[in-house]
Amino acid sequence: MLTYMFRRLAVGLAMLLALSVLVFILLRLAPGDPVAAYINPSAPLSPQALAELRARLGLDQPLPVQYLAWLRAALSGNFGYSIQRGGVPVLPLVLGRVGPTALLMGTGLVIATVAGIATGIVSAVRRNSSLDVALSAVASLGISSPAFLTALLGLYLFAVKFHVAPAGGMLTPGVPFSLTDLLAHLILPACLLSLGYAAMIMRYMRSSLLEVLNQDYVRTARAKGVREVWVILKHATRNALLPVITLIGSTIGVAVGGAIFLESVFNWPGMGLLLVDAVSSRDYPVIMCATLITGAGVILVNLLTDLLYAVIDPRIQVSK
Amino acid sequence: MMNVKTVSRGLMLAGLMMGAAVLPGPVLAQGKTITGGFDVGPGGFPKNFNPLAATAGFTWLTTYYEPLVIYNAGLSKIEGDLASSYSLSPDQKTYTFKLVKTNWQDGAPFTSADVKFTLDLARNAATGSVFVARLGAIADVETPDDQTVILKLKRPDSGLLSTLTQVMMLPKHALADKAPASLATSSWWSTKPIGTGPFTFSRYVTDQYVELSANDNYRGGKPKVDHLINRYFANAAAAVSALRAGEIQFTYVEPDDARTFAGKPNFRVIEGSSYVVNYIGFNQKVDLWKDVRVRQAVMYAINREAIIKSLYGGAAKAAQCGYVAPQLVPSGLNDYAYNPAKAKKLLAEAGWNKINGSKPITWLTYYGSQQAANVMAAIQSMLAQVGINVVPRVVDAPTYNGIVYKQNNPDWSAFPMVYAGLQDGPNPASINVGLNKSQLPPAGANIMRVQFNDLSAAFDAALGETDKTKVDARWQDVCRLMNKELPWGTMWAANRYGVASKKLVNFVWTPAPAGGPFADHPEQWDIK
Repeated sequence: MLTYMFRRLAVGLAMLLALSVLVFILLRLAPGDPVAAYINPSAPLSPQALAELRARLGLDQPLPVQYLAWLRAALSGNFGYSIQRGGVPVLPLVLGRVGPTALLMGTGLVIATVAGIATGIVSAVRRNSSLDVALSAVASLGISSPAFLTALLGLYLFAVKFHVAPAGGMLTPGVPFSLTDLLAHLILPACLLSLGYAAMIMRYMRSSLLEVLNQDYVRTARAKGVREVWVILKHATRNALLPVITLIGSTIGVAVGGAIFLESVFNWPGMGLLLVDAVSSRDYPVIMCATLITGAGVILVNLLTDLLYAVIDPRIQVSK
Repeated sequence: MMNVKTVSRGLMLAGLMMGAAVLPGPVLAQGKTITGGFDVGPGGFPKNFNPLAATAGFTWLTTYYEPLVIYNAGLSKIEGDLASSYSLSPDQKTYTFKLVKTNWQDGAPFTSADVKFTLDLARNAATGSVFVARLGAIADVETPDDQTVILKLKRPDSGLLSTLTQVMMLPKHALADKAPASLATSSWWSTKPIGTGPFTFSRYVTDQYVELSANDNYRGGKPKVDHLINRYFANAAAAVSALRAGEIQFTYVEPDDARTFAGKPNFRVIEGSSYVVNYIGFNQKVDLWKDVRVRQAVMYAINREAIIKSLYGGAAKAAQCGYVAPQLVPSGLNDYAYNPAKAKKLLAEAGWNKINGSKPITWLTYYGSQQAANVMAAIQSMLAQVGINVVPRVVDAPTYNGIVYKQNNPDWSAFPMVYAGLQDGPNPASINVGLNKSQLPPAGANIMRVQFNDLSAAFDAALGETDKTKVDARWQDVCRLMNKELPWGTMWAANRYGVASKKLVNFVWTPAPAGGPFADHPEQWDIK
């Protein structure tokens, strides 16, 4: 198990290095740079002044020199300063955004997982009933609704129209921290984030459980007189969960994408908003650091998912 | 079977309990607080705290810093702020400022030494200052006593006072021990800045909001509210949602949003000139626009009045030259009234078929709003009717700047024509950077490479005019030449908007370019 973990971690590090090269090159290929982003086109600065700014930021150096300088500093834990923010150190800035994103994504995924698995079980157990049809219809709607539509609609309905949730942000400005305030800001974006995933999990859970319920060992359990509730929860559901866990693990990366959009709509101060902001202002150091930390997060979650297989299904041995 | 139902019900109940979690209401801020999106829109500069690096965002900066002089709220004249009065010598080469008696927010007295310290920093490229070139006319800063500052100029500079409105005074006693080169990355700006303004800096919650507290000792009187909060938003639409939800009391809004607030009892729509002239830029490095008849044809082909009426709802003024301020626009200008037949005739005379014919011409812009897209589509269609085939290309501002500012081997074919805007007021000298041949890159921002000798001479004459009574006439000369020679196809100056809650009392805002600054007296703002 340990050998397997170290091997995966080593591969992960190599992937991160490759990712850093890729992002660095892509950023330089994109038109405009941090200095170009600095200019207000209707109140321009002279190219001479811009050249001085570029020199001060080291952007006038050859690309390999720039990359190696960045890599050398990054390996010693110095990811540079945010260009847009006039010298705020990047690493604490980015790490400070991990918490809000993890909170939003985590809450959204927990809601999606619990709601998806629960409704999936109900749907499978009450197969072809009117409840099953209704839940399946809602799930179809959830999967087919684009994130931008549900986010904007949710914001408009719950924040602007009915005033039952704040219109954005993570905390009310100017007041001391309180859990109630945090929850008030969290619940709407988290629920909206969970919609699509809950629907997807529900459908996977339903089809997986239906397949398992027809297996011999389930029939055997029933024949032995095991109570139906235990047959479903202990014998059937546990085995039906495997593909669902695969789904959850493999969609973490996609969930990051969803969170990026949702954070922009709800002004949630997470990694997504930071990245969107950094890309629009070509804040190279922030983009590099945020991408690497997001990439590391996805690699770690995928590793944890693989390890979780072994816990759920003892037949699987991760070391092989 | 009963057991299955129990399981189903249990799971459903659990799901419902999660889904129906009661939403706790938002917590209200403590004390009298005004919260706004003060850095939303083109006049804002969110997340910048360094006034030496500020190219915009002055509305917010002047809530805790102050400049020597400032525009009045109508942007019609410059008045004293930290200078109680100022005078200019007859040869226009010596400014004398008398300073008000006031203190920094930490209690230290504000003196002429602070002014000299600030101007020295602002003229030092090592600080990352964006004012170095604009303060280039200053030869020396003298401080004969604590309350007097004398600026000796190398040459008359009619734009200097306007530039000084954006130079926020900085405390020598707090910053003198920092190396100038370290200021650009100093955390001082966003942690413990000291100004002389009506509010003091309380805290910055990274990328979310900035909170200020009332400066009880402000010379203009104790502010009427306890706190000012500047919330950051990813875009104007998010700020509008917060405004509608009652979470903020003010924000800049796009014109389409402004219309939805009109007549609403709880809101006040504030409208004002953008002081930005929109123009079609003709890249003089490509052969398409060498013949003035082609440029004239472009003007005659575009029905500006119809666009202003239908797409701007009348909230724009047709520009016959680089600015629309009445005192700077002479009578008798060609208004280039819509005349497609004349446009076709001019193109035929110029030999347009040989110059380009129907080949597509890239029309580059950084304007990404729906309104701009509609305007460009309308113009594209009008130009197509006379045989000019333009293809709009919309990019973000950094991409646009990356293309038009490229120094080595610029790709002229990437921007043979642009749709852009340039600040044209309150000081008309602002447009000099885009039209005078002395401003050709790398010295200046004449990105369309306009090199008209008579126009450049007219600009130089206006900028160097020392007789106050003749300044407007000099700018009228510039306007007349622009209208005749069409270095740009000037379109219009549109209005911009802000929306304030009617709970706000004495709240002053105007859509000044770069956020001003202007005398908005935040100490008098109140909330019901």
